Amino acid sequence: MKYIGFFVVLALTIALGVAVSTPFGAIPPLAPLLDPNHGFWQNSISEDELAQDELRLDNLSSEVQVVYDENLIPHIFANNEADLYRAQGYITAKHRLWQMEFQTMAAAGRISEIIVGPLALDLDRMTRRKGLAYGAEKGIKFAQETDPETYALLEAYADGVNQYIDQLEDAQLPIEYKILNYRPEPWSAFKSILLLKYMTDMLVGDRDLEYSNLRKILGEVMLDKLYPEYPIGVEPIIEAGHKWDFNPLEVTRPDSINYPDDQLVIDPLPQPADGTGSNNWAVSGSKTKNGNPILANDPHLSLNLPSLWYSMQLTTPNHSVKGATLPGALGVISGFNENIAWGVTNATRDTRDWYKITFQDNSRKAYRYGEKWEQTTFRIEEIKVKGELAFMDTVVYTHYGPVVYDKTFNANRQDVNFALKWNVHEGSNEQKTFLKLNTGKNHEDYNAALDNYTAPAQNFVFASKSGDIAMRIQGKFPLKWKGQGKFFMDGADPRMEWQGYIPNEHNASTLNPERGFVSSANQHPADSTYPYYVFDNSYEFYRNRRLNNKLSEMSNITVEDMQGLQFDDYYLHASEALPIMLELIGSDFENDAEAKKYISILKQWDFYADPNQKAPTLFYIWWRESYSQIWKELSENLAPVVLPNYYQTVLLMKNEPSGEVFDLKKTSELETVATHVKIGFSGLLEAMKKWEAEEGDFSWANYKRTKIQHLVPQFNSFSVENVYTGGGAGILNATSGRSGASWRMVVELGAEIKAFGIYPGGQSGNPGSKFYSNFIPIWANGEYLNFDLRTANQEEGVLFKTRLN
Amino acid sequence: MKFLLFTFLTAVLVILFNPFLPYWSVMILIAIFAALSGNKGAVAFFAGGLGMGLAWLSQSIYISTFSGSSLPDKMGELMGFGSEMPLLAITGVLGFLLGAFSAWTGSLFRKLFKRKPDNIYGA
Repeated sequence: MKYIGFFVVLALTIALGVAVSTPFGAIPPLAPLLDPNHGFWQNSISEDELAQDELRLDNLSSEVQVVYDENLIPHIFANNEADLYRAQGYITAKHRLWQMEFQTMAAAGRISEIIVGPLALDLDRMTRRKGLAYGAEKGIKFAQETDPETYALLEAYADGVNQYIDQLEDAQLPIEYKILNYRPEPWSAFKSILLLKYMTDMLVGDRDLEYSNLRKILGEVMLDKLYPEYPIGVEPIIEAGHKWDFNPLEVTRPDSINYPDDQLVIDPLPQPADGTGSNNWAVSGSKTKNGNPILANDPHLSLNLPSLWYSMQLTTPNHSVKGATLPGALGVISGFNENIAWGVTNATRDTRDWYKITFQDNSRKAYRYGEKWEQTTFRIEEIKVKGELAFMDTVVYTHYGPVVYDKTFNANRQDVNFALKWNVHEGSNEQKTFLKLNTGKNHEDYNAALDNYTAPAQNFVFASKSGDIAMRIQGKFPLKWKGQGKFFMDGADPRMEWQGYIPNEHNASTLNPERGFVSSANQHPADSTYPYYVFDNSYEFYRNRRLNNKLSEMSNITVEDMQGLQFDDYYLHASEALPIMLELIGSDFENDAEAKKYISILKQWDFYADPNQKAPTLFYIWWRESYSQIWKELSENLAPVVLPNYYQTVLLMKNEPSGEVFDLKKTSELETVATHVKIGFSGLLEAMKKWEAEEGDFSWANYKRTKIQHLVPQFNSFSVENVYTGGGAGILNATSGRSGASWRMVVELGAEIKAFGIYPGGQSGNPGSKFYSNFIPIWANGEYLNFDLRTANQEEGVLFKTRLN
Repeated sequence: MKFLLFTFLTAVLVILFNPFLPYWSVMILIAIFAALSGNKGAVAFFAGGLGMGLAWLSQSIYISTFSGSSLPDKMGELMGFGSEMPLLAITGVLGFLLGAFSAWTGSLFRKLFKRKPDNIYGA
C-alpha cells in the first residue's frame, strides 16, 4: 500500500514538474517563466542595478574600459580596433541580444523556427527566394578574399557577442527568449553581413510589375503623362546646374525591345514600408552663426522597439567616434568623430530588375538565352518549423539571380517565371565603408570609404572640421539605357542585360557648392543633365523642397535652428493642394453645418501639422478620399499597379482640372477634378461623423496615433502607443502613425565638436528596464540628448563603469 | 510549531538555492529535506507548499517593488490577465504546488523505509 501511495504521488509530482516545463501551443513553459529567480521577474531589474565593475572578456590584448553615461550610452575605450570591436560585440549583445538575433533570423528566412504559423512560413519562403542569405554568403566570401582585415574585425565582434552568450545566465536572458521559449545561438561574421543585406531589403524596392501592368493598361503616352520621370519643379539632391566633370560611359539601347506583354495578376514583392525615407543636410560655415559647418541627419524607418539604433562612443588612441550603431554591425553608422561627421538617407533607385525566364521543359534545368540553353542551378532551402517537420523549398537560380515566383510559390500566379537581378546578390563590403568612415579625417577619407559601398544605395552627407561640406550618392548602380528595368524584361534576350555599372567617380556628388549647403531627402539625385538613367518610382517631392527653401533663406544658423528644422511640421503638400481643393468645392456644402465647421477650420489653417491642430486630420482624410476617387478606375484593376504620386496629382489638378485624366471611362457623365474633390469631401463628412461619434477629439496626434511597436507585434504591451507628436509623411518631421525619424542627430564641427542626438526608444532592449523607452518623450517633444564625445576619465554624468578583461 | 518551522526552513531553502538551481532541482531538494525531517504527509504537503509558494511570492513582490518596473503589468497584459496581481498569485500558487508535491513525495519516500506502518490517514 505504502509503495502504491509513494509511486502515485511521485508520478503526480513528476507529471507536475514536466507539465510546468512544457510549452502548450503558444504558451511557454510556466515554471521557467514564473520562477522569480530565473524567469521574467528578473527582467524587471534595470541595468544600473546590475552594474558590475569588472566583466570577463577573453582574447583582448589589453583592458577595455566601458563608461555608461546617465542614459546608458556606453563609451568604449580600447587600445586597438580588434579590442574595440570585440568589446562592441560584447556590450551590444549585453543590451540588445534578442533583437540582433531576431533581425538576422528574419533576414535569413528563419522566423518559422521561433514563431508558429503559416504567415511566418510564407515570410521565410519569400525572404529565401529573394536570395538574402545567398547574397550574404557571397558577401562573406568577398570579405574573406578581398579584405581579410575587415573580416578579422567581423570575427572579433562575433567573438565578443559569443562570449557574452556563453556567460549569459537564465536570469538575464532577454524576456523574448523566455516567452517564445528558445535560446540564443552563436553569432558569426556571416550574421553581421546578413544584417546589412537585411537593411538593403528594407530600403530597396522596385515597381517593375506595376509598371509593366500600367504600360499595358495605359499605353506609353498616358504612362509618361501620369508618371513622368522628371516632373516639373523637381529639386534634385545635387544642386541643379552642377557641372559633371567626367566623360560618361556609353550605354546602347537595343533598337527594338520586346517586353513580356502579359498583364500580370501576381502579388508584387513586398516593398519598403511607407514612410521609409530620410533627411540629411550640411550647411557650410559661411551660413552659420559660429562659422562652423553643421550637419544633420534623420533616417525615417518603421518605428520599433527595441529601437533599430543603439548609441555608442567607440574610442581607440587613434580615433573617437560616436553616434548610432546598428546592433549586429560594427562601428557607427550615422555619426561623427573628432574630425568629420556623416549621415545617410536612402538613395532610392531601381536597382532590382525582373527577367522573364523561358524554361526548356518542366525539369527547369535549362532556360533560353539567345540562341542557346543555359543551365540553371538548384538551391535547396530547408526551413525549420517550430514543432513541425522542416519545409523544403527548391529555388531555381539563373545567371540573373533566383526565380522568386514559380509553380511552387505564389498560388495565384500566372504561368510565368521571373528571375530577380539585384546587386544584393553580388559580393560587396559595406562594413568596410563604415569602419573607414569611423576613422576618417577628411573629405578624401570619406570618398575612399564610400568607394567600397554597394547597397542599399545611400546619399552620404559629409562635413568636416576643416570646413568642407559634401554630398555623394553612393551605391553600385547598374548602367542602364533609358527605360531599362522600368518594366519586366525578357530574360531570353541577351540585349536586355545590364551593361555594367556606373563607375564610383561618376556617381553624382558635390563638394562645397556655392549655395552653402548640401541636402537630400530621397528625391531625384540630379537634374536632367546627369548623363545616366536614374529612374525610380519612389522619389519624394515635398520634404526636399521645404528643406531647400528653408536652408536657402536661413543665415546665421545655429544648432538649435537645425534641430528645429528636423522637427519642422510644415505640411507642404497640404499647402499646395488645399487651396485648390477649397476652390473646387465652391459653395456646394454651404447648407451643411458640419461641413461649414470643417471648412472654416481648414481655411484658418497655417499648414503646420502640429499635434494639437485639427486641420491636418481634416485635410488628410479629405485628400485621401479625393485621391482614391480620382484614381478609382486605375486602382480597380485586378492587376497590381501603383497610382500617380501626390505631386503629379496636384499638378494635374491645378493645370488641367477638366482634363480627360479625371474622367471615369466607365460612367456616362463627364467627370472633372471638382467631381472627385466633392465626393472626397462627402467622404470626409462621413468619416468625421464616425470619428467624432466614436473617438471625439480629432486633433492630429490623436488621429494619427503614432505607435512604436515591439518587433513582435503580438507583444502589444511592450509597444508604446499614442505618442503625442506632430509631423507626418512628406513633412520634414516625418512622423506618421508607424514610421518616422528613427534617429535625429545634429553636429556642429567647431574647435570642439558639439553634438546632439535622440531616437524613439532607449538604450536597453529589455522591456522591463527603465532605459527601454525613456527617450520617447524627449524625442516626441523634439528635444535632444547631449552627444558630445567623452574622455575615459570624465566624471560628470556617469551612471557606472565596467572594465573588460 | 513543527509545521511553521518546516514551512520556514523550506522557504529558506528556496531562497538560498533557487538563485543557482533551476526549479526542478529545488523540488528535489525539498523532497530530500522533507524525507529527512520526517513530517507526516499533510504537514509536509502544506508546509512544503507554503514554504516554496511564500518564497516565490515574496521574491516576486520584492523584485517588483524595488525595481519599480512596469514589466509585471506588461506581462500580465500580455498573458491576458490584465495586470500584475494575477501573475503574483499564479507565481505563488505554482510555487505552492511544486513545493507541496515535492515535500509530499519526500515524506512518503521516508515512509517506505519505516518498519512499523504509521499510517494516520488510512487506518
